[in-house]
Amino acid sequence: MNRKDKGSFIIIVLIIVLIVSVLAAITFGNAQLTLQDVYSVLGYEIFHFKGLESYGKGAIHDVVWLIRFPRVMLALSVGMGLSICGVVMQAVVKNSLADPYVLGISSGASLGATIGILFGFGAVFGSNFIGIMAFLGAVLVSFFVLLIANIGGTVNAGKLVLSGMAVSAVCTAFSNFALYLANNDNASAEVMFWVMGSLAGAKWSQILVILPVMILGTILFWIQSRSLNLMLLGDEVSITLGTNLHRMRNFYLVVCSLMIGFCVYAAGTIGFIGLIIPHAVRMCVGTDHKKVIPICALTGAIFLIWADVFCRIILKNSELPIGILVSLIGAPCFIYLMVRQSYGFGGSNR
Amino acid sequence: MKLEAQQVKVSYGESQILKEVTLSAKKREFVGVIGPNGSGKSTLLKCMYRVLKPEGGCIFFDEIDVQKMPYKDSAKKVAVVAQHNHYNFDFTVMEIVMMGRSPHKKMLERDNQEDIYIVEDALKKVGMDTYLQRNFSTLSGGEQQRVILARALAQQTSCLILDEPTNHLDITHQLQLMKIIKGLDITVISAIHDLNIAAMFCDKIYVLKEGRVHAYGTPKKVLTKELIREVYEVESEIVQDQNGRYHILFLE
Repeated sequence: MNRKDKGSFIIIVLIIVLIVSVLAAITFGNAQLTLQDVYSVLGYEIFHFKGLESYGKGAIHDVVWLIRFPRVMLALSVGMGLSICGVVMQAVVKNSLADPYVLGISSGASLGATIGILFGFGAVFGSNFIGIMAFLGAVLVSFFVLLIANIGGTVNAGKLVLSGMAVSAVCTAFSNFALYLANNDNASAEVMFWVMGSLAGAKWSQILVILPVMILGTILFWIQSRSLNLMLLGDEVSITLGTNLHRMRNFYLVVCSLMIGFCVYAAGTIGFIGLIIPHAVRMCVGTDHKKVIPICALTGAIFLIWADVFCRIILKNSELPIGILVSLIGAPCFIYLMVRQSYGFGGSNR
Repeated sequence: MKLEAQQVKVSYGESQILKEVTLSAKKREFVGVIGPNGSGKSTLLKCMYRVLKPEGGCIFFDEIDVQKMPYKDSAKKVAVVAQHNHYNFDFTVMEIVMMGRSPHKKMLERDNQEDIYIVEDALKKVGMDTYLQRNFSTLSGGEQQRVILARALAQQTSCLILDEPTNHLDITHQLQLMKIIKGLDITVISAIHDLNIAAMFCDKIYVLKEGRVHAYGTPKKVLTKELIREVYEVESEIVQDQNGRYHILFLE
């Protein structure tokens, strides 16, 4: 099999795995439901099969259709979005240590959430105002970082990372300051829980926005894979190959900020996945973004779906924050891959 | 392709790096740019391949001002092999050379059979066609530089700009790379460190000193004892071997 076919083959296999994962993940949870119950509800809601009308309402219907299914779809969307943004951020700043939060997005989000929780600021936005505050915090902070990095000439990778770190430090200081002054244990716990991330709040109304955003973002970056490859060669080489990256870099970062903003809005800041999935994928298929982008999107989605399943079932009658689990599973897998292969930035021993 | 630089001026802060440098390369001419460190060779070439924007003066590709050209168009006219390229990530040789096709590609266009043929042909020309699936980072310095040359060839331009391409290469690979380039029979502008290599391959040599063109002409006319003393401040002797080639010997 030549390399091109190998890439398409992996993508097709992953799509099948993803569909199976979604269907399987819905069957796990605290409520004891039979497989027949679960798939009858799905059959009724999606295909409107005759004879399944009895599954159209009631407790079983609500657990499957209003709680579990949206949650799995949210895991899919967020996993996909964070992995893609991880790949793009690493290419944009040309640094393998970058993750989606490298522009200070996570501290911006937690500052937004802290202000929302402590002062009830932004309550006008409705019931999920904390999420909206976090979204605003994330997007505003990343735009601010971009603005700083653009001052005095063109953006480069070093300037982006450094301004991201600086702004991030300021945001963290502000939210710690606010929490310290308020001296409110409940609020601290709430902020903490929120920062660690959770997929529990999934609703269909969110999914219908977030899933299309993530899919469109993935397609956009897939189309741009040639420029992403060039980014790794540096600005000078790109110019000699006919592409000026300065404007693209800003455009990519704006798109990423919005994608991550949506993830943060729905699920808090889930760390680590945006760092390890891109690396794990590169170790297996190389650095060419034409393959890395779609494979990352699918792998990220599958990974977060299963991580969330474990969060739901690992503790009896309680739930583990997903951020903890992602690190617990992800880090050892990552170390294993790293030790097993000689690894520069992408896979060497193919 | 014909390439001209007219009265190019560049300065970093107070210090003027290039003071109205004018240079021209005719179709299929091999032009060497020599001069001591800091004389502005790289800066001049960077202006030509558009990484730097000169403060004054113009660069023309076939009589067209490059400032008015989209980057895609200039990349179809001029390809570049810069100083030793080190990438700290893993692309295969195939992927690296395929990037040379990007100026010819529209946003949604995929690599087709013709591109693959061009890439393989470029690698054949530099003698690296058996390395297609190797990882770029595992190659030696000389092999990497030949792959970068293949990428430039895949751009299918009629002009090549080289910025000290043989730096860090041993003498075998220096000669090998220069012979491949000479054999392409296209316009070449190259910064060259080694005066003997310059004498061997160039049709015309420009000597830069402190940001000005100190002298230019054929190697025989330019590379004299007096000029080397003026520009490099070393004593030398020019000898001719039995094949009529000139060699520069450096004395203490």
